[in-house]
Amino acid sequence: MNSSLIALEICVLALGTVLLLADFWMPVERKKFLAYFAAIALGGLLLAGFSDSSFCQTFGTAFNGAFVEDAMALFFKRFFLVAAILVLFVTAEFSDKIAAGISEYYSLIIFALAGMLFAASANDFVMLFVSIELITVTFYVLVSFQRAKLTSLEAGVKYLIIGALSSAFMVFGIALIWGTTGKMNFTELAAVASQFLDNKIFLIGVLFLLAGLGFKIAAVPFQIWAPDVYQGAPTPTTTFLAIGSKAAGFVLLLRVLFAAIPAVAEQWRDFLIIISGITILYGNLCALPQRNLKRLFGYSSISHAGYLLLGVAAVSATGQSAVMYYLAGYLFTVVATFIVIVLVMQNLETEDISGLAGLNQRSPILAATMTLAMASLAGVPPLAGFFGKFLLLKAVIGQGIATSNHGYYCLVFTALAGVLISFYYYFGVIRAIYWSKEAKDLSPIQLSGAAKLAITICIAGIVWIGIFPNTILNLADEAAKSLGI
Amino acid sequence: MKHELFPWLILFLPIFAAATITLFTLRSRCCSAFLSIGAIVAGFILSILFIHANGIHFAGEISKTWLSIGNLQIDFGLKLDALSMMMLLIVTGVGGAIHIYSVGYMHEDAGFSRFFAKLSLFTFSMLGIVLANNFIEMFIFWELVGVSSYLLIGFWFEKPSAGDAAKKAFIVNRLGDFGFLLGILMIWGILGSLNFAALQNSITANPVALGTAATIAGLLIFCGAVGKSAQFPLHVWLPDAMEGPTPVSALIHAATMVAAGVYMLCRIFFLLNADALHVIAYIGGFTALLAALIAVQQNDIKRIIAYSTLSQLGYMVMAVGLNGPTAAMFHLTTHAFFKALLFLAAGSVIIGMHHEQDIWHMGNLRKKMPITFWTFLIGALALSGIPPFAGFYSKDSILAQCLEQKNYLLFGVAIFIAGLTAFYTFRLFFVVFTGKEKTDHAKHAHESPLVMTLPLVVLAVFAAVGGFIGITNNYGSQFVADHETLSVAQQFLEPLHTPVPMLIGIGVALIGIFIAFSLYKNATSDPLPAKLGGLATAMKNKFYFDELYEATFVRAHDFIAAVMDWIDRWLLEGFSIGLVRGGTDLTGRALRLLQTGNLQTYAFLFVLGMAVVLWLVLK
Repeated sequence: MNSSLIALEICVLALGTVLLLADFWMPVERKKFLAYFAAIALGGLLLAGFSDSSFCQTFGTAFNGAFVEDAMALFFKRFFLVAAILVLFVTAEFSDKIAAGISEYYSLIIFALAGMLFAASANDFVMLFVSIELITVTFYVLVSFQRAKLTSLEAGVKYLIIGALSSAFMVFGIALIWGTTGKMNFTELAAVASQFLDNKIFLIGVLFLLAGLGFKIAAVPFQIWAPDVYQGAPTPTTTFLAIGSKAAGFVLLLRVLFAAIPAVAEQWRDFLIIISGITILYGNLCALPQRNLKRLFGYSSISHAGYLLLGVAAVSATGQSAVMYYLAGYLFTVVATFIVIVLVMQNLETEDISGLAGLNQRSPILAATMTLAMASLAGVPPLAGFFGKFLLLKAVIGQGIATSNHGYYCLVFTALAGVLISFYYYFGVIRAIYWSKEAKDLSPIQLSGAAKLAITICIAGIVWIGIFPNTILNLADEAAKSLGI
Repeated sequence: MKHELFPWLILFLPIFAAATITLFTLRSRCCSAFLSIGAIVAGFILSILFIHANGIHFAGEISKTWLSIGNLQIDFGLKLDALSMMMLLIVTGVGGAIHIYSVGYMHEDAGFSRFFAKLSLFTFSMLGIVLANNFIEMFIFWELVGVSSYLLIGFWFEKPSAGDAAKKAFIVNRLGDFGFLLGILMIWGILGSLNFAALQNSITANPVALGTAATIAGLLIFCGAVGKSAQFPLHVWLPDAMEGPTPVSALIHAATMVAAGVYMLCRIFFLLNADALHVIAYIGGFTALLAALIAVQQNDIKRIIAYSTLSQLGYMVMAVGLNGPTAAMFHLTTHAFFKALLFLAAGSVIIGMHHEQDIWHMGNLRKKMPITFWTFLIGALALSGIPPFAGFYSKDSILAQCLEQKNYLLFGVAIFIAGLTAFYTFRLFFVVFTGKEKTDHAKHAHESPLVMTLPLVVLAVFAAVGGFIGITNNYGSQFVADHETLSVAQQFLEPLHTPVPMLIGIGVALIGIFIAFSLYKNATSDPLPAKLGGLATAMKNKFYFDELYEATFVRAHDFIAAVMDWIDRWLLEGFSIGLVRGGTDLTGRALRLLQTGNLQTYAFLFVLGMAVVLWLVLK
């Protein structure tokens, strides 16, 4: 076994442990800065991965094929590293509200990141389950971290119980799959899966497994927890939930559907189309009447899971690369959104949209960031969100032509209707920023240097990915190739 | 190509400055001015270095694929040849002088930083037009220039007249741009390419490649120039655009942006066939005549110069139409020098007069503002076409072009305009700078600070010697295959090759100046209305074009708009959208009820969902 394959994961786990240890010696008032230390360390790992070809760029398998390092794993690992770095920045801005145990909070983020890195490389059901549990269990704690706040605790309990329920389904599903096929490894399963297409027990197993993943990505009908948890959780947790946890769900979904059971995915096109369409509509419709910002983005995140499922439903390499491209743009957009929420809502009791009133006077740069993020989420060219949606729809239409399945065209119209609806609430946020008359507090918002840096990175990401899509798209295409559809 | 990075820097430095100022330094006037001026001056220096390294007769392009959809590939490229490199020098050089001048002119304005940000945005857009190597890229920057012009005309947006002028400029330009876009699409549809070099190759290979559509396509593209260069019938926006700050008038509405139309025609000159050129020549000639007549009876110092700009633009367009792009570009260049100079000098007068613009309130400023006086005089002589100033040479080359094409009608018109030009320019000159002070303001006028007079002096030098420093050599190589390079002395004496237009040109200019001298030397009010009667009133009222458009196009447009408003409000908004929106909203509210907040319900829904999925897939 080539141990250098998991060098990155080992480094990240070591970093988490170092953070825990540092907690003993670090004076309380300095603990906040551990976030920057962690972010720099992760940034170093990320750069090392780009510059040194031997560090986490050697492709191969480990642990008897349970762990695979390929182009897709690499793409998602870089994605998760960037996500964690940005979330650490968000957390540093939020740290005053979690005064007690802030360094535990940081290390939990790092541990969740380790789970995500393993998820990106999971190539058998055991690895899948363990990595998902590592992520989910960490998030139970992260969600309920503001112990003094009732809503945070409530969100934690809800996440815990629904999460446990979904885990139960998933384990049961894995057991059924193993029972019928005798395979745990994705590659081995792919070779025999087509023999079991009529085996109901096997299919039930697969559906149970997908239910677990559906919970992670908040797809209908397993989306019900999302708004409550997004609203109640501390904002950095919400951020990480919206990107990291969702992306982990997607990398596993792509692996399971297209590396382990491609034959089943091929048969379930209609089912995937329906799930994607309903998720888009549900997320967007429910977001319409929301006034609480975090809850609004909870629903928005459901609708984006729906958009991402467009690429999955396409069952094609272009669809898969579109999913990855979209996630990359989504990453910067979501972080931009939540860092603005953190900074603006710092001194407010409310998390209502009205809290944004007068933001353009309080801090033009935050107002511009939020506007840009909303425009990208809604899909306004030339931003990342527009090109991502364009690629997803293109993949779906391509499949509609290739398979002459009319469901694909219905799905395109549903998605477009969803986008149309979403414009209403996203631009409602922009309207609140610039044209709301309710502004009471017009004191300027002071930004720390780190916050400015994070905001600049996010803006650059949103604009750059949208205008120069090729770099990311090439990486995503490369990654999609490793799935082999 | 050496220094391939330079053109990119020249193009992108100004937008970088604009973004930085808008985002970070709005509160620091010093930083803002420094960034904006630094960007354009750096552009000027880099342009010189680039030309020095590659030679002015170099031709090449750098391009990167911007997007490709199907078999349509659009590049983002920079075209570098004599034409664009000369324009680079004009935009960054004259623009740089005007940027520096603005520091003095806008000194007391609260929107100082905002002004520089917009100025830099404009510079970026204008450089984009100059460097574009394909139609789409040019069109994008074309529109960006329109936007920045809109922003700058409406800079003092709290004044309703400025807001109206900005809207007028933008909308009138859009009319022209619509035709431009149609022309671009037509060219693309027929020739299948948008790149200038590729288009030129296909036209050279097959001169009738455009077939019968050639004239229409050429004229549609000309529509763009009609809008941007304010040719008849879309000339109405330019005089109103004088509501903007004076440096803006100098930079955008005299030296660079309005010249973009002429530049564009020269850039795509190979696409225009004889019929299209014919129309272009007459439109240009008519605009030149019309504007010169109107200028005779204006009293606002900036408006007189604005109409003179219109008239000179008409001259250039006419020159293009007479198959003389070299002459047109030559005049464009010298015009950039002396017209920017005249505007900046007028700005200096306006500041010295405490924001008074009516020439009949001035008088005898010669003593109070000596530098402004002398530089204005040089500009006025150049504009009137008195040798050896720059305007003489370029105007002479246009007149010679008229004769060479044997178009005696346009030659006569051009001669008449030359006389008028000298007349109205010196009318302005005598009323403002000589005679007696007509108000107290004029008695207390003062010279402007060095930061404003220095650019005046620099521009005056170029307005004086611009005619024989090699400008024609540089353009000639672009349009004429066997162009011979002339030495300075040869250029100095070049007009002697065609003595007829030269002598007539000088003659009418002198006559114009003499009439102006005799009428206005000591005049306290305008003696002309009494002599000309109704014609003078018509000139004063700009031949009632605004009123005509108001009564026809605007009224018709208002009617259509009212009908559309009714349809939109009641049929679309009320009936169609109302139902859809209401339905969507209701569904959203109903679905919200699902979210009870009760954990047992959630768990139940989760399992129920699972059951539905099982049924759906396995039924």
